[in-house]
Amino acid sequence: MSYKFTKEEAAGLFAKLSEKFDIYAPIRFKDAGRYAETDIIKYGKISSFDEGVYNEKSTYPMKEVLSPIQQALFYFTEDEYRESKCSTKPMLVFARPCDINAMKVQAKIYAGNGGFIDMYYERMRERVHYALLECNADDDTCFCVSMGTNTTDDYDAAFRFTDDAILIDAKDSAFEALVKDGKACDFKPEFVKENITKVTLPVIEDKETLNKLKAHPMWEQFNGRCISCGACTIACSTCTCFTTRDIIYGDNQEVGERRRVSASCQVDGFTTVAGGGSYRKTAGDKMRFKMLHKFHDYKARFKDSDMCVGCGRCINRCPELISITETLKKMNAALEEIKKEK
Amino acid sequence: MNHDIFIKKVRLNCFRESKVPGEFLLQMRCPGGMVDADMLDIVKHISKTWGDGNFHFGTRQTFDICRIKYEDIPAVNKYLKQYIEEVEIEECGVNMASIAGEPAEWDPESGYPTIGARNISACIGDYHCVCADVNTFELARKIEPLIFPSHYHIKINISGCPNDCNKAHFCDFGIIGCAKMEYHPERCIGCGLCAKICKSHATRVLQLNEATGKIEKDPCCCVGCGECTRHCPTSAWTRKSTKFYKVIIGGRTGRQTPRAGKMFLNWATEETIIAVLSNWQKFSAWVMDYKPEYLHGGHLIDRAGYKKFKELMLDGVTLNPECLVAEDVYWHETEYRSNYNVKELSTHHHAGPTEEKK
Repeated sequence: MSYKFTKEEAAGLFAKLSEKFDIYAPIRFKDAGRYAETDIIKYGKISSFDEGVYNEKSTYPMKEVLSPIQQALFYFTEDEYRESKCSTKPMLVFARPCDINAMKVQAKIYAGNGGFIDMYYERMRERVHYALLECNADDDTCFCVSMGTNTTDDYDAAFRFTDDAILIDAKDSAFEALVKDGKACDFKPEFVKENITKVTLPVIEDKETLNKLKAHPMWEQFNGRCISCGACTIACSTCTCFTTRDIIYGDNQEVGERRRVSASCQVDGFTTVAGGGSYRKTAGDKMRFKMLHKFHDYKARFKDSDMCVGCGRCINRCPELISITETLKKMNAALEEIKKEK
Repeated sequence: MNHDIFIKKVRLNCFRESKVPGEFLLQMRCPGGMVDADMLDIVKHISKTWGDGNFHFGTRQTFDICRIKYEDIPAVNKYLKQYIEEVEIEECGVNMASIAGEPAEWDPESGYPTIGARNISACIGDYHCVCADVNTFELARKIEPLIFPSHYHIKINISGCPNDCNKAHFCDFGIIGCAKMEYHPERCIGCGLCAKICKSHATRVLQLNEATGKIEKDPCCCVGCGECTRHCPTSAWTRKSTKFYKVIIGGRTGRQTPRAGKMFLNWATEETIIAVLSNWQKFSAWVMDYKPEYLHGGHLIDRAGYKKFKELMLDGVTLNPECLVAEDVYWHETEYRSNYNVKELSTHHHAGPTEEKK
């Protein structure tokens, strides 16, 4: 059933939802952008609907709610330790279909990969309920339709914020109980049917082709273009790489905290191993790794999808204007070349 | 040609005499170096009708039109009315019927009333530039009414960031946009890119603490350029919304004692800059004994001495709490002639009102 709440009723609705949920949404941070007088939009807990930004793609992905950039895992004192605490209150997270679908990818890595479930991820995932936001897909960096991530049914309710009302389609019956005071309406969420940008996913037929693609000169251009800052992977909806670090409190080596912090395959040091060895030294090597990881390796392992939901945030965030969709085109062209050589 | 022209009067009208007797160069003000491109039609019309068909970008971002005949100046001034109204009055809110803040008659068809306060130049600033911290031409447009029209000379250069492409270090009153950064350690992944960039592009105030994976900063020496913020992949560095400025005074070129300017204010807000510059007319009048003689702004500072300059320019100003002020300034000049300033006492310049006016 669908319900309508007027602007005046929004505060009451928020209060009611807050009793059950911690509510998360994209929030605008004015002037916090990379360049002067530009903003960023990132996820955070909101205390009123007005705080949220619903009609604009966030700069940083929704994944930060479940797997923040930095997270305390446990605290230690001499031979004792205690896990970091986590609220058990359910979370209502406003998210677009691409962000919700990205969580399937993240879950593959965090909860089940190698037969291991990451407790810190799992305890967050258990709390999460999605409030679907419709997407206007008016940005030519989006390519969710090509990735098959433009629709989802993994949500409790769909929301539409108009100038004077909030429309809610409650899919989940427990959620419906919270919103049934609203006026009945016929709102149904709409999904993006077509993007301006479409991609053809590369087909790498065999190991020989893969090796030839790896050795292809197309990657060399990134040595002069990419600055290996890692902004693409931090903005990525699906990237999961992290590192752990023990922080010692003050001068007592026995007291401290183990935390995990996001890592990036693009940043120096990512492939550094004991003894100082390092692989993938050039920007081109790192870009090749990222692209093949997302559009070959992940699918080879998990079969179901690529490690990309087409949110386009990596394109939005790249300071060097490198486009992942154009890079895919270059990969396809290189594969054509390789095919012809055979 | 037989001419009898009061050149100084024509110059005050922003027409500069040519090496060809009877020909003049018009300098059209362009505060902050930014105007609607429609204004180019006016520039073109003046040049094609009364000039030689060319225009030159003045070194201070004026539209300069050469070879205007003395006889045509009244017609040019009449035509300039629209340009002055749009650029000076509408964009900048200048009171054209004033000189140095005092009411003065001005005929809208008489062209520019003074040449003393020079065009405020600016880099493109954060309207476009990836490095910039502030909007430069908007600031120029706010300052324009404080300094113009006035016979007192001042050159103001505005740079959008401490890279100082517009050479705030080489004018009387240079303004450099900067920013105060905020560090959000919970977003920092310890990649160290900010520290690397700060080392190679700025004042190397950042260091990656390998033990914590977080950044340590020496805040005292941060130049406020924002390169850390520009390069941070996670927005662990952000600019505070308040815009800040450095003010560099007394820089100049010239035949005698060129020098780079020195810092007068650091971390001044726009309100502080406006308040300080509001004292410029009073300061200049005091130094020149209320006679608006042509003398470069930097020389006014020299004649008064830095401490007197500081006293008069900060008179009645409430500085923003972050603002730092130079207690003293030690100039480093290029003396084309050694001991240039050592000369007969009787030839030394005087600053301030004469005895009877005190």
